[in-house]
Amino acid sequence: MDDLNVKNQPVLKQFVPTPPRPPRKSERGIFGTIRHRCFNSIGNSLLTLCVATVLFYLAKHVLDWAVFNAVFIADNRRQCMDISPDGACWAGVISWFNGLIYGRFPVDEQWRVNIGVLLGLVWLLPLMSKRIPLRNFILLSWIGLYPFVGAYLFLGGRFGEELGLVHGAMTCLALAFLIIIYANWILSALGKKGLNELFVPLVSRLVERRIHLLSFVAVWLLVALVIALGLSQVSLEPVPIERWGGLFLTFIIAGFAITMAIPVGVILALGRRSKLPVIHWLSMTVIELVRSVPLITVLFMAVTLLPIFLPADMEFNKLTQVLVAVCLFAGAYMAENIRGGLQAIPKGQYEAAATLGLGYLHTMVLVILPQALRMMIPNIMTSFISLLKDTTLVSIIGLFDIMLMARNIANDKDWVGMHTEPLVMISVLFFILCYSMSQYSLNLEKRLKVDR
Amino acid sequence: MTTSSGNLAQKAVTETAIKIDNLNKWYGDHHVLKDVSLDISEGEIMVVCGPSGSGKSTLIRSLNHLEEYQEGVVSVFGQPLSRDRQSHKIIHQTMGMVFQNFNLFPHLTVLQNCTLGLTWLRKMSERDADKMAMRLLDRVGIAHLATRYPGQLSGGQQQRVAISRSLAMEPKIMLFDEPTSALDPEMVKEVLDVMIDLAKTGMTMVCVTHEMQFARQVADRVVFMADGEIIEVGPPEQVLVNPQWDRTREFLQHVL
Repeated sequence: MDDLNVKNQPVLKQFVPTPPRPPRKSERGIFGTIRHRCFNSIGNSLLTLCVATVLFYLAKHVLDWAVFNAVFIADNRRQCMDISPDGACWAGVISWFNGLIYGRFPVDEQWRVNIGVLLGLVWLLPLMSKRIPLRNFILLSWIGLYPFVGAYLFLGGRFGEELGLVHGAMTCLALAFLIIIYANWILSALGKKGLNELFVPLVSRLVERRIHLLSFVAVWLLVALVIALGLSQVSLEPVPIERWGGLFLTFIIAGFAITMAIPVGVILALGRRSKLPVIHWLSMTVIELVRSVPLITVLFMAVTLLPIFLPADMEFNKLTQVLVAVCLFAGAYMAENIRGGLQAIPKGQYEAAATLGLGYLHTMVLVILPQALRMMIPNIMTSFISLLKDTTLVSIIGLFDIMLMARNIANDKDWVGMHTEPLVMISVLFFILCYSMSQYSLNLEKRLKVDR
Repeated sequence: MTTSSGNLAQKAVTETAIKIDNLNKWYGDHHVLKDVSLDISEGEIMVVCGPSGSGKSTLIRSLNHLEEYQEGVVSVFGQPLSRDRQSHKIIHQTMGMVFQNFNLFPHLTVLQNCTLGLTWLRKMSERDADKMAMRLLDRVGIAHLATRYPGQLSGGQQQRVAISRSLAMEPKIMLFDEPTSALDPEMVKEVLDVMIDLAKTGMTMVCVTHEMQFARQVADRVVFMADGEIIEVGPPEQVLVNPQWDRTREFLQHVL
């Protein structure tokens, strides 16, 4: 049909796009930007100068106190005052630094804390690499297995005595898993098959199905057995939970809350959206109840009320009760974040999943939650940051976290009345931690944005 | 156009793919489907058209239970469907659907969109699933975009991915709910070409569409709906060229 029109018309003009042209060159560079933004009129220039003067004096006073007039080496507060009366006395913070970080953990055993924390970070390192096999399991294994290794290192004890059999076995399995992850990482970098494929030829002779899974389990158990034999030979000095403290304890509580917040939050959020009335009302009650009560009362309730509800012979230490309370609190807040994300997912996504034949669990885990969580990264990160800061409240119920340790400095006879310096130090520390968390979340957002 | 009537003659002996019997649906007091009955044979290409609000989308979405209906029975290959697990299984094994807004999963690559059902529901190995999905993507002409994300694709390309995602589950019946309505005019053709190719393979297709050109070219029968009722059913030459009812003629004057 179109042929007719084309034939009747004369030869068409050919369209050639205009070549692009670069933008104006002025207003570039640092000086250009400053002139353009800060000195573009008389009023603005005056304002800029005023603000600059105020900032200068502020910075000068802070630096005078914190750096130029500060005392870094002294034996006690009196000496500090003698050397420089109007400067910070960092000597006190330095002498208590170990306490701020490790609490009352025995000095000789503090290497275990370092190793434990390092191991936790090392475990997550392979997530940076994109090509490693079993990548999805690394995070899950960290959540499920790392706590056993950490608890073993921090608590100490001998296999079969202070260290229970179940706990010991899980520790061995966890360490074995870590070794397999790293062996696989190296092997895959060398272009070879993973360690978990070691028994495939043998297993394939015995059974027909699930060969790779069985081979993996076989290798895992074997490595765990070797580790168990080694572990039964060593004995770590037991350290009771009451001696844990400082930043280390803050990390444990915040780390636990952050890791558990998402699973608990997802379950509560899905429960609240459930069409089954019992589940819906139960989730809603938990969320609303926990959200409308301050964290301090939740902590107090966990410590004083929980033992009343539980059978008399069941005894929990304070840390466990606090962990449960913080986990519930974090979960309730996270649930509302996640619910917001779930509501933003268009109905079409559910319909598309349904027409493919995906059931409820598959739809949620594969289609809806990945999108909802991604959308909510800024909110989730905000929750995490406030969780990290909120954990300092546990000092009120007598756990020796970094806050309580800082207040103890002022009670030390050498440093009586020193309140400001430890608090400034903690503020700086928390700023570094929280700022890096928010930077990481920005980075994560940018990385996951490709698909939008 | 000449082939379509020939196909119909062949298909006369084949069995009924979908049988819709006295379907009724209300949104509150609003009666959206009124005693709709229709038989669709295996291998038939059925085009459903009509003004907006005529219930054509509701009808096609009732077939795979995206919409609930209050009265009537839909049978697929002789099996009457209800709300139980068995019916859901039949629906998912026999019917695929393509939506107006594509509804691709934005967090997965094109290839992962197509293999999702294969690896998680069919328990296919990753390699086999990838191979099968790549074959389908190649068929719709976008194999080179397999590693992209849906957000990086044009509307026409996204809709072609959506079609191969549905085809990956090997359905016997494909439902198209206005597949070209959200597309720029330049991209409508690339999607229609894929649908025409699919029609040639003998797939049973139910298409809600405003593309009358497409209806004329490939449809075996055209259904005209208005106000929740089927007004006319017949071969495209009859319904589109020589309609029996004034409502049909009025509609066609607006679209053609």
